[in-house]
Amino acid sequence: MSTNLRNLALVWAVPILLGIALATGLAWSRNTDSTAAVGETAGGPVQRWAKVSVEMPTSHAAFPAGNGAEIANGQCLICHSAGMVLRQPPLTLDEWTGEINKMRNSFGAPLPADQVAALARYLVGINGRQQSPGGPSAVDGQGS
Amino acid sequence: MGLFGASAWKAAAATFAELPFVNGRRELVTNFPQKGAMLLQRTRPPLLETPFEVFDQGVFTPTDRFYVRWHLANIPNSVDPATFRLNIRGHVRQPISLTLDDLVREFRPFEIAAVNQCSGNSRGFFSPRVPGGEWANGAMGNALWKGVRLKDVLDRTGVKAGAPQVRFRGLDTGAIPQTPNFMKSLAIDHARDGEVMIAYAMNGDPLPLLNGFPLRLVVPGWYATYWVKMLDDIEVLDKPDDNFWTTKAYLIPDTPFANVQPGQQGVKMVPINRMLPRSFFTNVQDGAVFKVGQATTVRGIAFGGDTGVAKVLFTSDAAGPWQEARLGPDHGKYGFRQWEVPLRLSSRGPHKLMIKAVNTAGSAQPDHANWNGAGFMRNVVESVSVQAT
Repeated sequence: MSTNLRNLALVWAVPILLGIALATGLAWSRNTDSTAAVGETAGGPVQRWAKVSVEMPTSHAAFPAGNGAEIANGQCLICHSAGMVLRQPPLTLDEWTGEINKMRNSFGAPLPADQVAALARYLVGINGRQQSPGGPSAVDGQGS
Repeated sequence: MGLFGASAWKAAAATFAELPFVNGRRELVTNFPQKGAMLLQRTRPPLLETPFEVFDQGVFTPTDRFYVRWHLANIPNSVDPATFRLNIRGHVRQPISLTLDDLVREFRPFEIAAVNQCSGNSRGFFSPRVPGGEWANGAMGNALWKGVRLKDVLDRTGVKAGAPQVRFRGLDTGAIPQTPNFMKSLAIDHARDGEVMIAYAMNGDPLPLLNGFPLRLVVPGWYATYWVKMLDDIEVLDKPDDNFWTTKAYLIPDTPFANVQPGQQGVKMVPINRMLPRSFFTNVQDGAVFKVGQATTVRGIAFGGDTGVAKVLFTSDAAGPWQEARLGPDHGKYGFRQWEVPLRLSSRGPHKLMIKAVNTAGSAQPDHANWNGAGFMRNVVESVSVQAT
């Protein structure tokens, strides 16, 4: 082998071997990730820690028009988007009142007490039901 | 023009899924950061459900399809590892403050496959209905979590004698100061059991911000309410936690399967805790049609809850008999396990396919749906109605 060829081989061998090592390493770590069940693992960071900055989508949904919509738009939207309310099952007047009071008592919603009834009537109007024969759906006042 | 018109039309046309309960229409959205297509339950604070077909792809839920659930609206948009610190303090000999690199370099790494499931997963199926996040079955996921044992971190700080609980808090806060900060506590022995961990990676990558970047508490076998996201504060308490989220929220009836009758009063309530076994079909849906005598394979996933899956039972006839499904590879007792059975329907007409997991502690999914007012812990036997023609 001439010197030139040997040099050429060396020049290429380094990246090729490095590539093989990298590929094996990657395959190995992928393999451990998919088969390991539990236990201690090789150390080292999963990757260099990078700052993460994101942009959250915003909701433009408003409550449908009606008597009391201004209370819903002014109060409920302080802490959550309208979709949370609009995707609930139909609830009775008592159940909606319970939900509103949960927001006031557990989460500090600044809704004045004298607006609770009007807001509950509005919510029954847009997503309400009569008392079901099967009994109440027991809004249990939890914060979850 | 043609191409432009087509893509403009595509962008404008929203895709919806109809979850099978009243008011179950949900938009499939792709505009949340680091997330693929998800079912929108709420924009702010985000509640995103994993579309169920994702669970047919394998036992590890892809990170960009993993469900998202936040309580409080003030979630940092940005976290900088250069300035982020995890503080461990309280009833300890030496409070410490750790960088992410400290966690990686100074503690033995630990990893575990574990299901993270919202306490209220499947709430939309409760009958009678209850208010809350109206999920179908996609408020769960299984990941390989990598990080450090909580025990090792607590040992470094030196827990003083007599500490009953450890309390966890993340970077999120309420939209208004009156809203209680989201904090959850674990008993000291649970916190030091060598399985509860602080994860800095899921499925081999850093956590998406919406799943808790940079650190999340992992509590294998327990409902996700304890898996505090963006964890930056660990406080060893010298008396039992009395904060709102521990004492008043996430309570369940202290009954088997947290089951009560609608309207039932005077039931003792306790903090939600260990998960129950569940199983699901992933390649057959209600309304599927099979040819009489045609051989096919039905498959799905199962998990044991707070322990492993012992067996998964299948029947195509409510009157029985039940047959044992073949189980896929075991990635650890807290993860999903794939199951499959060969199926050949021999008679024309409707058939009800049913699946039931039994865990290694002997707990089986109940035949009748459990119910409680908060919509927690549903784990009834799952079924799909199909036709043979």
